[in-house]
Amino acid sequence: MNSWNRLMHSSALTWALGYVLLGLAALAAFAVTLWYTWNVTIYAAREEFLLDDAQRLTAVFAREGVDGLAARINERVAMQIAGERALLLTDSQYHRLAGNLDAWPPHIPQPQGNHAVIANLPGHPAGMGLVPRTLPGGYHLLVGRDLALFLPLERRFAWGLTAAVTFLFAVGVAGALFMRRELLRRVQGIRTTAAAIMAGDLRRRLPAAGSGDELDTLSQTINGMLDHIERLIHGISDVSNSIAHDLRTPLAELRSRLEELTLTRPEPAETFGEIEAAVADLDRVMRIFAALLRLAELDTGARRSGFVQVDAARVAAEVVEFYEPAAEQKGVAFSFQSAGFAPVAGDPVLLAQALSNLIDNSLKCVPERGAIRVRVDKRDDGSVAIEVADNGPGIAAADRPKVTERFFRGDASRGTPGVGLGLSIVDAVAKLHGGVLELLDNHPGLRAQMVLPVTDGRSSR
Amino acid sequence: MKILLVEDNERVARFVTKGLREAGHTVEHADNGRDGLFLAASEPHDVIVMDRMLPGNIDGLGIIEALRKAGNRTPILILSALDAVDERIKGLRSGGDDYLTKPFAFGELLARVDALGRRSSGSDAGRTLQVGDLRMDLLSRRVTRGGRAITLQPREFKLLEYLMRHANQVVTRTMLLEAVWEYNFDPQTNVVDVHISKLRQKLELDSERPLVRTVRNAGYMLSDHE
Repeated sequence: MNSWNRLMHSSALTWALGYVLLGLAALAAFAVTLWYTWNVTIYAAREEFLLDDAQRLTAVFAREGVDGLAARINERVAMQIAGERALLLTDSQYHRLAGNLDAWPPHIPQPQGNHAVIANLPGHPAGMGLVPRTLPGGYHLLVGRDLALFLPLERRFAWGLTAAVTFLFAVGVAGALFMRRELLRRVQGIRTTAAAIMAGDLRRRLPAAGSGDELDTLSQTINGMLDHIERLIHGISDVSNSIAHDLRTPLAELRSRLEELTLTRPEPAETFGEIEAAVADLDRVMRIFAALLRLAELDTGARRSGFVQVDAARVAAEVVEFYEPAAEQKGVAFSFQSAGFAPVAGDPVLLAQALSNLIDNSLKCVPERGAIRVRVDKRDDGSVAIEVADNGPGIAAADRPKVTERFFRGDASRGTPGVGLGLSIVDAVAKLHGGVLELLDNHPGLRAQMVLPVTDGRSSR
Repeated sequence: MKILLVEDNERVARFVTKGLREAGHTVEHADNGRDGLFLAASEPHDVIVMDRMLPGNIDGLGIIEALRKAGNRTPILILSALDAVDERIKGLRSGGDDYLTKPFAFGELLARVDALGRRSSGSDAGRTLQVGDLRMDLLSRRVTRGGRAITLQPREFKLLEYLMRHANQVVTRTMLLEAVWEYNFDPQTNVVDVHISKLRQKLELDSERPLVRTVRNAGYMLSDHE
């Protein structure tokens, strides 16, 4: 019962049955038309034959008189096979003169105009087509034909139709069952995989044969989605791990600092020093939080609502001006080049922050007397590249894809201040603006490039 | 100054009240929205410090909107744990004058409260600012100390103007970033400090009295007092 229910609820079966029914309906319409046309044609041919015959016999009567006609009829009757044809000539009193009928049949309907009529005669169960004629002198002529002649034809026609319908139905149902099985098999595959993924095996993918049919395309789309989800989940767990690690360090320091205070109870001056250090530890935690929240905010894309037309060159010039004294203090050669007005759709403060992070990174890692060059270029396709190049240690090629990951810190940056979120924020800002962050080798040093798309930026929304 | 603090967290309220009182202010405290609105509407204050999330059927923004609708122009500093830019904008749009994210350093709060309170007293309307022997002409954009002309870059001028408008008050690095550069992010390098020290070099020649003081754990103060 259960499997029957399932069968009836199978969408494939429903569809296939629907198609079969539709086919049957089409066939029925076709058959009815055919039947009608066939009938009309056969009937007309039959009638014409009878009318012709009646016409011919009437002509014989006109030419050769009643005896001549009787002779012709008798001749015909003698030649005739079985009782397929009916011929009868009577006088005005309906007394038989010639023919193969014993008597004028009673109840012959009066034909309407030049047409045949159909009547049942004894010994002719299928009925007869009859043409009665009244000849000059009151003689009566009856020409008829047994309709049983056509019965086999009709029967064959009906059989053919039944066979066609049965065949269609059988093929339809079999096809439906087959389609259902095929579909179920593939859907089952998808379900098994989905269940495995839900159970935690994120690496599983739906079977995609590459045949390019609808189910395959669907599987590929879902696989793409699964790839993305897997990346996100790994990203989240990486971030959680990193947060745990990066927050745990300052929190552990803080904890030991405070615990030590309660245990050793040092002089007030020392105590206050320790408390200040503890507040500094907390500030570091707060900065990490602020950066993470900023990243989360960037990732949602909510800031796009505040996009305006921004001159990237001007934003860059201001950030460069902001950092100039700091670079000067460190003895770093700091230069800025721009090709003039460089319009992008964006958030000026976020762009400034991204550039500030890049300059900040460079300032931290270039050696004394190093050089940092900031450049804003308009490319031929209308996109704008904001570039910060330095001659510091750079980023190892192997590390480059990883540096935009949250909390990643290259070996070179160990021991420098920072929480490892700077480039993540630059990357997120670039992405928010529909652009990319590219990290290139400056031989030596790093060339970090934010490429922002053409000014309307709507393509990325 | 007379300050109204509307804050439901008892510990934060105690900490802020104590700090503001030590700084010489009179503090009234309400620990829910209803009392806060009542106090704010019934008595004049110089500054209101308003937490956003409050018990008592009306939150911080609701109170601010109600006060502004009633024509109350008291400067309001919003305290909030909501840091997103949208939230900040929402806070300022409701009628708040400044926005400080929790948790905060007390120095930051105090500096911002002072800045707001000073603004409400509306002391400078003139075309020149003067602190001790330092004079700034806002129209001709000339700065002199004693009789000595000081040449400043536009951004340095803006920085000095802000310091002079808030003379004898502590201004924090964040306040300077927001007011002078309009940046609301935190540069990791001590860029603001470097700008200040450059400005100092121009303002304070060897023989002259220092004008810009560094206030430990808080920020800077431009002052003509010793």
